Amino acid sequence: MRKRALAESLRRRLREACAPVAAAASLVGFVAIAPYIDAAAAELKLLPPDEAFRLAARALDTRTLEANYTIAPGYYMYRDKIRFAIEPDSGALGEVVLPPGKMKSDEFFGNVETYRDRVVIRLPLARAAPGQTLTLRAESQGCADAGVCYPPHLQRVTLPVPPVDGKPGPIVEVAVPKKPWFR
Amino acid sequence: MLNRRRVVFAALAVVAIAAGIAAALQLREPAGMSGETLLAVSLPDPSGQAQPLSRWRGKLLVVNFWATWCAPCREEMPMFVKAQDEHGARGLQFVGIAVDDAGKADAFAKEIGVNYPTLIGGYGAMELSKALGNSLMALPFTVVVDPSGRIVLRHLGPVKPAQLEALVKRSL
Repeated sequence: MRKRALAESLRRRLREACAPVAAAASLVGFVAIAPYIDAAAAELKLLPPDEAFRLAARALDTRTLEANYTIAPGYYMYRDKIRFAIEPDSGALGEVVLPPGKMKSDEFFGNVETYRDRVVIRLPLARAAPGQTLTLRAESQGCADAGVCYPPHLQRVTLPVPPVDGKPGPIVEVAVPKKPWFR
Repeated sequence: MLNRRRVVFAALAVVAIAAGIAAALQLREPAGMSGETLLAVSLPDPSGQAQPLSRWRGKLLVVNFWATWCAPCREEMPMFVKAQDEHGARGLQFVGIAVDDAGKADAFAKEIGVNYPTLIGGYGAMELSKALGNSLMALPFTVVVDPSGRIVLRHLGPVKPAQLEALVKRSL
């Protein structure tokens, strides 16, 4: 009887001790290896470009598209690196006039214009049939204040053109990739 | 009885340490390519001549991915020029890999007086940097290979002068 009680209390103590010992030991293991981890992106906590420079667009009518970049805080885009095209009909887009940006002085390139927060761009359609769908291809390039730049980035949205005198088409956003579960 | 308990605890601790290390390794998983694989890479210089990175085996090799369209990249390069000047004789060697076209990269390198080789990687170099751990494919990205061929730093964003100094102190 006494033996059984002893075994029971021992088992309980073992159970209680397990969690802190495992936690402490795994912390020791992690700390031992941590200096060798330089998973650079984790350190700076940067967004993938589709999330830093979110593109949404819609057809306002049969003659105009509207593209809208929502730029995450701490990120900026270069005005002169933004280019639009309609695929596959490259002649479908008229001349695009980008709104003025904010001047930023650049040692190498002189003054460059940048966008922050949000920019809305009107794209004149030279030819589009009411009711058709078309693919807008947007190329852009931007940076983060944390001190990195992304290479020129391509985004595509497929937009339905509304009927003549119809309401504007739906807003279509570029899908933001899901985060992996362990991040 | 007491001995057995100790053995159980010791075994548990070993398992837990292993789990901790595994978790840490899991975190650094994106950094895949080894130093040896990187040293086996060969890229053209601005004149089109192939330059194998293995030329600089045995040095403390700092491989810096950059581009002229990347302001933070251009801003940190003068520091590299200075460090190359100061520690080059002791075995520190910078190599720039430009994610750019040869003309633009060469013009900028000449303008700021870059005193280390510039290799032309084009956009393909982005994939190389990704294989080295630059999962976001942003710039600047810097990898340091120590004289024994081991990668000792994979870094996204500007390198801090103190980081560089610590590596020089440790490896040279």
